[in-house]
Amino acid sequence: MNDDTKVLEREQLDLAETLRRSDVDLRLPAVVPREPFPIEPLTVDARQQTHAVGQRATRLDGRLHGLGQTKYIDDLSFPGMLYARIKRAGIASARIKRIDTSAAEAIPGVMAVLTGSEIPVNSFGPTFQDQPVLADPIVRHAGDGVAAVAAVTEQIANEALAKIVVEYEPLPAVLDPVAAMREDSPKVHAPNSNIYATKVVRKGDIEKGFAESDRIFEARFSTQMIEHVSLEPHAAIADWDANGRLTIWATIGRITLARADMARTLKLPMSRIRIIGTIVGGNFGGKNEISQEPALALLSKKTGRPVKGVFTRGEEFTATTTRHPIIMDYKTGVSNKGRILARQIRLVLDGGAYCSWSATTLGKACILSPGPYKIDNVVAEAFVVYTNKTMTGAMRGFGAPQVCFAYESQMDDIAKALGIDPLEIRLLNAFDEGSSSPTGQVLHSVVVKESLRKAADRFGWEPRS
Amino acid sequence: MIDVTIVVNGETRRASVPPETTLLKLLRENFALTGAKLGCDVGDCGACTVIVDGMAVNSCLMLAGQVNGRNVTTIEGLATRDRLHPIQKAFEDTGALQCGFCGPGAIMATKALFDENSDPNVKDIRDALSGSLCRCTGYTKMIEAVQEAARVLRSESRNSSHTRELKVTAP
Repeated sequence: MNDDTKVLEREQLDLAETLRRSDVDLRLPAVVPREPFPIEPLTVDARQQTHAVGQRATRLDGRLHGLGQTKYIDDLSFPGMLYARIKRAGIASARIKRIDTSAAEAIPGVMAVLTGSEIPVNSFGPTFQDQPVLADPIVRHAGDGVAAVAAVTEQIANEALAKIVVEYEPLPAVLDPVAAMREDSPKVHAPNSNIYATKVVRKGDIEKGFAESDRIFEARFSTQMIEHVSLEPHAAIADWDANGRLTIWATIGRITLARADMARTLKLPMSRIRIIGTIVGGNFGGKNEISQEPALALLSKKTGRPVKGVFTRGEEFTATTTRHPIIMDYKTGVSNKGRILARQIRLVLDGGAYCSWSATTLGKACILSPGPYKIDNVVAEAFVVYTNKTMTGAMRGFGAPQVCFAYESQMDDIAKALGIDPLEIRLLNAFDEGSSSPTGQVLHSVVVKESLRKAADRFGWEPRS
Repeated sequence: MIDVTIVVNGETRRASVPPETTLLKLLRENFALTGAKLGCDVGDCGACTVIVDGMAVNSCLMLAGQVNGRNVTTIEGLATRDRLHPIQKAFEDTGALQCGFCGPGAIMATKALFDENSDPNVKDIRDALSGSLCRCTGYTKMIEAVQEAARVLRSESRNSSHTRELKVTAP
């Protein structure tokens, strides 16, 4: 069997070699063979990779990055390409009464203007399809797009945005996530409740745990909204060709998901859509879904020309996803010796105007909220709610850094109140090999205590209690 | 429209552009030199750093008209056909380039530093890179890369007089 394979490979190689030679023979003498770039190509020795750990590896694309030759979206351009800009609402909650684009369309160089009503299916999202490409008629946060323009230059597109007149009827806005949970709160996605996903983790008997505790500590922690600020802004180029095929070059980490979302919003079979994920200039979770791409595609369809859209740094902050601010209530029962006996947690995630990856973040934040500690009695409840703010979504850690801030802060508070060294209280409670997490997962390769001890040695931790 | 003539990477180039055109747009759109990147367009991130008459500048803050008649070096002007610039080599080897978007700017800021100071200490390096923001790799590896490049460049300049003598004697 093995011998047969070898024979087959050899034959294929020979065939390839024959073809290559015939190709060389066919070349006209006038054609100078292209010289290879004489800089030594960056190749990795396969044998060096067998023991990857501890090896110094260089990035395979580092060469091009350093030469400035990497092609990010904004480095690409196509003949006849137009520049798109999106007009942002600038109001947190409103109903659009009227959009007048006639003055914008009259500007020489403006090739097309698009509003929400022209989008075949004006909703998308990786979890719930609750986000419009362009708001129509309800604006749910200030960064919502209300109209898009394609023009021959960026300056003309900007000028056109200023000429678009939008009349709004302001609606009551919800900005505080806790207030948004009340029944009588204005609804961001009326008539639905503002609470759009929940998760509960229970382990043991929380009441018994608190009853057995010597001390009970209660505190509220909160974190702020954080933007990814990848150095490369969100950018895409759409080309809807005369054959009805759509090609999108985009800074998207999840091109398959993007393709499904595009097919849905444009009512176009997926087979007609090709998405090319270029090298991404920083993602950090902020480029895991489509944003302006359907609008660019429709502008390209209207004009018959490729259309490029690059967000400004301002849009990056107002119109792309951010990290969830979380209000975290911790109630922890401990013995006088510092052993945690019960922990009750309530998380309220500010989900912003649209879901994006909130449900995923909610789950991870909830599961990890008790911390890496052996606690027999746990109740963790988490809610993610709509508010009229910039939508929150995926960002490095999916909710884990926020809850880590809360449980570690409380560990310090408990240690201080009980007069125990902060390192000791963690060593007393931390997971061991075979410990089970609040969801019942049995953990292996647990080195948290070893890591803590080594870290303490390294930075010269001395007990302060 | 205004006419601009500049020397870019040793080559004289001309363009006629609207007066509001920045040096960055001039390089990227008129001269197809896309190595300098647009990150923030307000001079905060340093991804657009190029060297104008020996000074590292944010090309997004400089108008094309201001550069008329001046000498500009961009990332495309560092490597030759047969050799990476030692700064590029060091950035690559130490892993200072991750997504790479800030790389050209940081490398040009380093080049401007070396043009003034061939033996910078860590504080000098931090100062020189203070205008270049990075969100992936962080700055530790960049500082390592700059130190490594400085070592290489110093040892090269020590050997260069020797090389010239050899060339003279060669038949």
